[in-house]
Amino acid sequence: MATLSTLDPQQLKIWLAAVASKDAQAFRHLYDSTSSKLFGFALRILTKRELAEEVLQESFVSVWNNAGSYQASLAAPMTWMTTIVRNKAFDLLRRVDHAVEIDADTFEKDVMNAMESADAGPLAALQLSDDAKGLARCMTRLEGLHRQAIALAFFHDLSHSEVAEQLKLPIGTVKTWIRRGLDRLRMCLQKTEGT
Amino acid sequence: MNIIGNERMLDKLAAEYVLGTLKGGARRRFEGLWQTEPQVRRITAQWQDRLHPIAQFTPAVTPPPQLWQAIASRLKLQAAGTTARKPSFWRGLRDDLGFWRGLGMASTALATILIAVLATRAPGILPGNPAGTPTDTAISQTSYVAMLADDRAQPVAVVTGDERNHRLTVKVVLPQTIAADRSLELWAVPKSGPPRSLGLVDASGSVSLQLPANTTPQTVALLAISLEPKGGSPNHNAPSGPIVYKGAWLQI
Repeated sequence: MATLSTLDPQQLKIWLAAVASKDAQAFRHLYDSTSSKLFGFALRILTKRELAEEVLQESFVSVWNNAGSYQASLAAPMTWMTTIVRNKAFDLLRRVDHAVEIDADTFEKDVMNAMESADAGPLAALQLSDDAKGLARCMTRLEGLHRQAIALAFFHDLSHSEVAEQLKLPIGTVKTWIRRGLDRLRMCLQKTEGT
Repeated sequence: MNIIGNERMLDKLAAEYVLGTLKGGARRRFEGLWQTEPQVRRITAQWQDRLHPIAQFTPAVTPPPQLWQAIASRLKLQAAGTTARKPSFWRGLRDDLGFWRGLGMASTALATILIAVLATRAPGILPGNPAGTPTDTAISQTSYVAMLADDRAQPVAVVTGDERNHRLTVKVVLPQTIAADRSLELWAVPKSGPPRSLGLVDASGSVSLQLPANTTPQTVALLAISLEPKGGSPNHNAPSGPIVYKGAWLQI
């Protein structure tokens, strides 16, 4: 499958730069290599297919219109695009007032699969950038509930108190877990970057 | 408190900002700093690069083909295959040089698939040799084939026609995921006149359809598959959705 190698950040940067100068061909390449990843992500946040389709469409229109400002964001290309998808998805949820069923177990499975993909390399089902492989490894070193608290917040735009409610834990505990979890991720990722 | 000088505090805020747990006034204040302070933008980008790969843990799901069409038409992109609704489309399709070139590139794949299809379909496609007729003419008079490819010349489906039994077999060789409320519809595109619906196609398997008279390659140049609402296009002489796969209808 062509998408395997094309999540390469250098390639994505080249396409984004071409899209900034309104190169429709490059835009098509960018769409072909990232849309299924971004659609899967939007689907996980929104759960409803028609909502995810709407968000993906809005996101790529935004990528086309704002590719020129990509450089200024300083982030990796996939980061920049997932930020757009995530913001659009949360905006849509607020607009349609659609309650999403929150399922922390799915994320656990995703992380485990991601880590297996990162370590063993059977990437058929899951194509990961090097950044994502590194993060998957570091995430598996967190305690399960710390990881879940972080994932709940990330995928569902929850506040500390909403995460606490979901996990049926005191808010102070959740705050501490998230802070420690983020701290450990930063240290773990720095170590991986160093090697 | 001078937050800008406090790298540790900034780092903590940026992490919670990116994660989403920084809410309300604290979030707005942080966004204000992001606007004015390059250092805050840098630290935020670092946290985005750390955390956003979480998005890749979710399995990839191929969006439906019409989504690209919708984006391309909203942005008025000039690209092949995005003009499906214009009246000149059928003429364009017949004359589309890029399409024929793409077909050429895919001909190796076509040959491979043909061999496979003919091998498995042999009893249906090669009818009993009528008395006195040489075998090779029996084959050439009764068999048609089209390999339908997407706009990147990737073969998706093989259609074979059996004139004697008036049957068409559509075999999807690259299984497609389509939304539950959609159908794929097969069309004959004649050398002149409007297209005709040949029936609905299974997105991942194989279907047998009736082969109407006057659907020989002498009159029909192309076969095409369009993405339609469930049950097919309301008009049997025009697809209502985009053409997603197409290929020349050939006598073999």
